[in-house]
Amino acid sequence: MDNSKGKRFKDDINLLKGGRFFYLTLIICLVVFFGAIGILITAFNRLISRHDQQLSAEISTIMAEKMNSSIEFMTESINSTAILLSSRNYDNPGQIYDILKNNKNADYLSAGFIDQSGEKFASDEEASEFAKWDLLQTAALANPVSISAPYRSSVYGQPVITLFASLNYADTRHGYMFITYKLSELQRIAVTRSLGNDVEIWLMNAESANIIQCAGSDEHSIGSWANAYLSMQDINKEDVPVYSDWLTRIRHLEDNIGISYSVGDTFYSQHCSMISSMPGWYVVVRIPGNALSATMHTFRNYVLYFLAVLLVVVIVLIANMYRLAKRDNEILEALSTYDPLTQVLNRRAFDTAAAKWIARGKDCALIFFDLDYFKQVNDKYGHNIGDSFLTTFSDVLKKNFSENGIISRFGGDEFVVLTDLHSVEEVSALIRKTNSDLSSFKLPGADKKDREFSISFSSGAARFPYDADELPLLKKRADTALYKVKELGRNGYLWYMDLPEKNA
Amino acid sequence: MKKYCFTFLIIISSVLFTACCDASGSASESAASPVTHFEPLGNISENNKNIYVILKVMDSSYWQVIMNGCKAAGEDLGCNVYCGGTNNETDWQGQRVLIEEALAAKPDAIILSPDDSIELSSDIDKIHELGIPIALIDTAANTESFDIVYMTDNLYAGQNAAKEMIACLREAGYSDYDDISVGIMVGTAKSQTINERLAGFYLYWANNAPGKWNIISDIMNCNGNIDQGDGMANDFLAAHPDVVGLYATNNGPTRVLASVVKDNGRQDITVVGFDFSDEIRELIESDDFRASTVLQRQYDMGYRAVGSVLDILAGNTPPVRFIDTGVVTVNKESMSQPEVMEVMDMNQE
Repeated sequence: MDNSKGKRFKDDINLLKGGRFFYLTLIICLVVFFGAIGILITAFNRLISRHDQQLSAEISTIMAEKMNSSIEFMTESINSTAILLSSRNYDNPGQIYDILKNNKNADYLSAGFIDQSGEKFASDEEASEFAKWDLLQTAALANPVSISAPYRSSVYGQPVITLFASLNYADTRHGYMFITYKLSELQRIAVTRSLGNDVEIWLMNAESANIIQCAGSDEHSIGSWANAYLSMQDINKEDVPVYSDWLTRIRHLEDNIGISYSVGDTFYSQHCSMISSMPGWYVVVRIPGNALSATMHTFRNYVLYFLAVLLVVVIVLIANMYRLAKRDNEILEALSTYDPLTQVLNRRAFDTAAAKWIARGKDCALIFFDLDYFKQVNDKYGHNIGDSFLTTFSDVLKKNFSENGIISRFGGDEFVVLTDLHSVEEVSALIRKTNSDLSSFKLPGADKKDREFSISFSSGAARFPYDADELPLLKKRADTALYKVKELGRNGYLWYMDLPEKNA
Repeated sequence: MKKYCFTFLIIISSVLFTACCDASGSASESAASPVTHFEPLGNISENNKNIYVILKVMDSSYWQVIMNGCKAAGEDLGCNVYCGGTNNETDWQGQRVLIEEALAAKPDAIILSPDDSIELSSDIDKIHELGIPIALIDTAANTESFDIVYMTDNLYAGQNAAKEMIACLREAGYSDYDDISVGIMVGTAKSQTINERLAGFYLYWANNAPGKWNIISDIMNCNGNIDQGDGMANDFLAAHPDVVGLYATNNGPTRVLASVVKDNGRQDITVVGFDFSDEIRELIESDDFRASTVLQRQYDMGYRAVGSVLDILAGNTPPVRFIDTGVVTVNKESMSQPEVMEVMDMNQE
């Protein structure tokens, strides 16, 4: 069957509306799917965020306490050394200095001694730091231990802290031993395997809000100074009042205060803990919320990737199923629309298409064709020849009428054509041409005599809207004309308008 | 056609899904800008040691003073000094190129002011392993392979500024019992130099200023923009009319605060800043205002670094590895002192 014609019949009959519906359904499903995924992601992120906030607050508290304990351990170590040296009751401060200086197992940068008169037993370079950084003032605070504010050592060129411990010598004399550590030593204490470099640790001076970093993601930033009042400018506006309040509470020397805030999209938990041997100083630990949930985010992304693959597989499956269903539909549709032998419309499809055709309101003609003596052909030559007979006839009809009309096998040897009517003469000419086209038909496989047998047909035609303005009546009128032809001996055609009975 | 529709739907689905997932950003590095290749500073003699100096910004007056120090040391101490550098303080890749150039020239010693304290650490290690003495100036590096570093201890410089502010306010007649406030303006929050000057000021203030003397916690940050700083300072004075002192951590804010105080006729406000500019000089020299500025000795950094590497080449080991070249405080009283005048002259070149 020719494609364009098939398409036109399809449009006319409008049997297939499933395609549009399928795409609409698919789009709705995708929208619902993505909506659900969006809700899932939001819910998951919210869950992770809440989990992070709770956990990071707890971890920062624990880390601050751990750092404080570690500093306490350092102070206790120097205090124990001071007690030990005091118990030996050295007469000469030089002896104490020699012991401290020559300690081969020490992990500190340097050590020295300050006697009762304030004389410093240290290298010249180390001694020069005392004036610059008011270290004697810090030493005087040792009860039994004090720690200096961090400063850059001229000997080592790195930020350091110096610990002082009160010490007795020569029976009644009192002095201070001191030990200098690299500030980065605190990082060694702070490092955790699980959180890597995500934890940031600072020492913070309560009065000035100065902070110095001891550990963090950027190794270079260790030993770098900042000021919390200036840093506050980076914090998201809505969190500034809380942060400001946190600073005020530290200034009032409150201990163990936690806070949460965001810088841009990053959520932080921060906790501070007062350092007892470093009056006015706090350990501050900050953990970005996302440090804890990196694994969860990776897991979430894997789930999303899996769903993406699943979605693609489902779409491909649906597409294939749709394609197969469509093909089956097309077969069924062809079976329900077309006569399988002649590939013209069957009766039901014709009625549907003809009703639409008529509904256009244009002039048209309906013609019934009936093959003459078809039953005898079937009986004499068999059904194969009969089928061939029908196929030939339908091909001739298609050739002459398919351009401007629709053709149907109405049943048995009866065909019907609905065609545009520009003039009766034009349609009559086509009927005659059909007759002449069939004259050359030879029965295949028949005797020579029989092969001369030619097909003839009888036909009756009626006009819309002149003979009838509705399809059933139009068919009836054409049928009446056909019967008249049969009565008259077949092999001819008549228009309903020409029937004598009608005229009478 | 429908086949294309399916393909399109599949692609859209995949894209939407990908969009749902987190995109991981990649860190970008700043592109290297053209470098200034080595040129001799002064006369070259074949018998002299060859010292290669690599600076951060060649066309800045600050670095020009350092270059002058290196040149003078070359002439005074009898060595050949070649100087090259980058034109951007973050162009460590450019400095790496210059280090390779210097090494190819078989230098006796290298003086470097690292654009990046971490990235160039491996290059410093390499120089050290080759047995070439290396001195750092202005900025330290995150390695222990250098022989010596000359720089300003900015924490200490900030303390000096606070000390000067307290002294000026006492001179202005404020007592321990007066409730007074000072304000601060910084050039940026990202510079370690500025943060140290700020921290030093705060630390000294916390330990030495009377309890009733307060620093206003609303720190102005002009982000390197003088015009923005100007408006900010005017707003600050309007919001805090009782402020009696203003501290600026670097050259830009110092110029801003000096101008704003002068333009508003606020003779009751003491200004303490950093570096030397026409604005702060005018205020210091005026009899109506009270102002001071802290100057670095960057000339000394260059001069002494050349001396140190020659000393190391002579077989001596420096007793210390970090040398704070110190600062001088310029005010009405000190500006006539020879030492201060000398540093002022160098900063004006």
